[in-house]
Amino acid sequence: MSRLRDQAPTLLVAGLAAAFGVALLQITGILTAIITSQNGFSESATVQLMLGLVAAVFIVIAVYVSAIVTSNTVATVVAGRTRLIALLRLIGASARTQRVAIAREGLLVGAAGSVLGALVGTAAAWGIAEIGMAQGSIPRAEYSLLSPMLLLPVAAVVLTTWLAAWTGSRRVLAVRPAQALGDANEADFDEVSARRGRAVAAWVLAVLGVGLLALGVLVGLVRPEGVLLGLLGGILSFTAVVLAAHRVMPPVLRLVGRMFGERPPARLAAENAVRHPERSARMTIGLVIGVTLVTTFAVTMETYRSMLLDATDDRADLQASIGPVIDATVAVFSTLIGFSAVIAAVGLVNTLSISVMQRTRELGLLRALGFDRTQVRVMVLVEAAALTVAATLTGLALGIAYGWAGAQSMLGSVGAGGTGVGLVAPVIPWPVVGVVVAAAAVLTLAASVAPMRRAVRVAPVRALAID
Amino acid sequence: MQIQPSDLGLIARVTTLAKRYGSGSGAVSALEDVSIGLRRGEFTAIMGPSGSGKSTLMHIMAGLDSPSSGRVWLGDTEITDLGDRELTLLRRRRIGFVFQSFNLVPTLDVRANVMLPFDLDGRRPTAQERAWIDELLDTLGLTARVTHRPHELSGGQQQRVAIARALATRPDLVFADEPTGNLDSRTGREVLALLASAAAKYGQSIVMVTHDPIAASHADRVVFLADGRIVRDAGRSGAEQISTYMLAMEAAA
Ligand SMILES: Nc1ncnc2c1ncn2[C@@H]1O[C@H](COP(=O)(O)OP(=O)(O)O)[C@@H](O)[C@H]1O
Ligand SMILES: [Mg+2]
Repeated sequence: MSRLRDQAPTLLVAGLAAAFGVALLQITGILTAIITSQNGFSESATVQLMLGLVAAVFIVIAVYVSAIVTSNTVATVVAGRTRLIALLRLIGASARTQRVAIAREGLLVGAAGSVLGALVGTAAAWGIAEIGMAQGSIPRAEYSLLSPMLLLPVAAVVLTTWLAAWTGSRRVLAVRPAQALGDANEADFDEVSARRGRAVAAWVLAVLGVGLLALGVLVGLVRPEGVLLGLLGGILSFTAVVLAAHRVMPPVLRLVGRMFGERPPARLAAENAVRHPERSARMTIGLVIGVTLVTTFAVTMETYRSMLLDATDDRADLQASIGPVIDATVAVFSTLIGFSAVIAAVGLVNTLSISVMQRTRELGLLRALGFDRTQVRVMVLVEAAALTVAATLTGLALGIAYGWAGAQSMLGSVGAGGTGVGLVAPVIPWPVVGVVVAAAAVLTLAASVAPMRRAVRVAPVRALAID
Repeated sequence: MQIQPSDLGLIARVTTLAKRYGSGSGAVSALEDVSIGLRRGEFTAIMGPSGSGKSTLMHIMAGLDSPSSGRVWLGDTEITDLGDRELTLLRRRRIGFVFQSFNLVPTLDVRANVMLPFDLDGRRPTAQERAWIDELLDTLGLTARVTHRPHELSGGQQQRVAIARALATRPDLVFADEPTGNLDSRTGREVLALLASAAAKYGQSIVMVTHDPIAASHADRVVFLADGRIVRDAGRSGAEQISTYMLAMEAAA
């Protein structure tokens, strides 16, 4: 039975999210302990609150992304089990029972993953602290690794994995017992649900969000409080993007797919990438979130830097101290957000592998019709590339827009002689863009290695097999 | 000077073919000492009870599987020891397939599915080939359907698209494995009539695996397999005649 192997990706994702959350809290705790031992309690309370808030934001992002990834993985696994589910339905199992069973698997796997992750995260934090203290780069202090706060990310991961498994298993309800009799695996084109409410909500949020962003930029020209409007606008409009991902991503995927040309492997790959709009949306949206956040932050900081440099034209001493601070901030925060992007990437790798595996007969058919092994490899590679390139481009575009709006609304009014810097063009942080693009390339390769190996091993006779 | 299969009017030929699966005491012998030549332009049916080796024989003749011993030709090309690359090209250019189900690439529309063998070769069909494809689509009643995706078609229509694709490159040989297995009897008869007329009208060589006597009755020649051996090789036969023989064969087993 392949059930447990099916759940390995979910275990990994839950583990990563929990490890990240726990490590972040442990490091926060250790830093607080150090500050307390150096400066006394009163000052450390504020620091602890600040650090805690920052950690919470990043943990929420990581858990959110991992929930999306898990629900997508479960949905993909369920699609692959359609035959089995239909057979069980045929002999009398209710859809609900089966869905509950899948959700329970999710709960168990989530629990196992987050406990393992918590151990790994704690070990990592302890390792970093001990190495730092041994090297003398941070002062030695007594610290505890048993804060009750740690239960929060662990519980959050367990609950979201459970919920995500439940959401992802919605498809079970759509499996008809008769599908046990025919070949059901390939005919699932009907996944796009025309859920009106979701579309309306997305439009409302988008209009509201973009309006607030624009307002934020305008207000930002006179007062720095414009950034609060901008932030709200950003959150609203980005939620709209996530809600409408099944409408937003397929056109991007088509456009990107066309870049790879008209030869059969590329054309089929492009079609494969959009054959299930819901699935491609879920596969890519995690990565879009990660890239958008990293880019937003980097563009804001870069634009901010150029504005500050302009504003402090006459203060060379100030200018010299701005650079390193901004560089360090960008590095630390990008790494923290980058972790969510890694979770999203794990999800993409898994879903692509699973979906290629589920296409065994189609691959056999292509081989029987005269696809050679290289063409099969190219097809898988291009499909992976289309997904990562589409996600990366979307993320970069959104990130540049958000980053610019952020910097503009925060600093448009700040300037030499109280005149303000006015409207400036966004400054693109090329090193960060470079890292993102390189990471996307690595991800494409990583995501295609295993499916490529499996795909070329499919014998053409598989197309003739009745089962 | 060696005699080539084509000198004998053959489009495909196997000699003293054997196929064994596994080894030792668990070994299964799927084919034993099978020799047969398929004549150009003929519609041949291969019949036999389940497990008699029909699929194995077809896979080996189509270069999808290799024999344990014996030799295999397609036209004048001996394919017994060809590598994956050459076999792939062979399938692309000289063989057509019609399967029981799942014949079409789900992400491509009807026209793209039919054109796939040309696309795979990286070439556009010539004007003559294009005219042939249009004629095929027309004869098969698919002209109004060319922009549809497979899931928008009925089983019979999908099977007709598969036939159009299999005939499009005018291959040396079309292999059909239980092509009517998933169709109702009326649609099945239509599909069989189409295959038969492709052989009669255009001289297309076709070999079809089936266990359905009615399907086999459309063929010019009916070859019976039992336990991996050819037990009878008959000309055009009626469905009743075929069933009687099948029943006798099963009674003897
Ligand atoms: N891959 C395989 N491994 C082991 N035995 C096989 C394999 N394929 C076929 N066989 C065996 O070879 C024999 C012939 O099979 P097959 O050619 O599929 O028969 P048919 O198509 O006439 O039903 C059967 O006994 C079958 O069990
Ligand atoms: Mg068979």
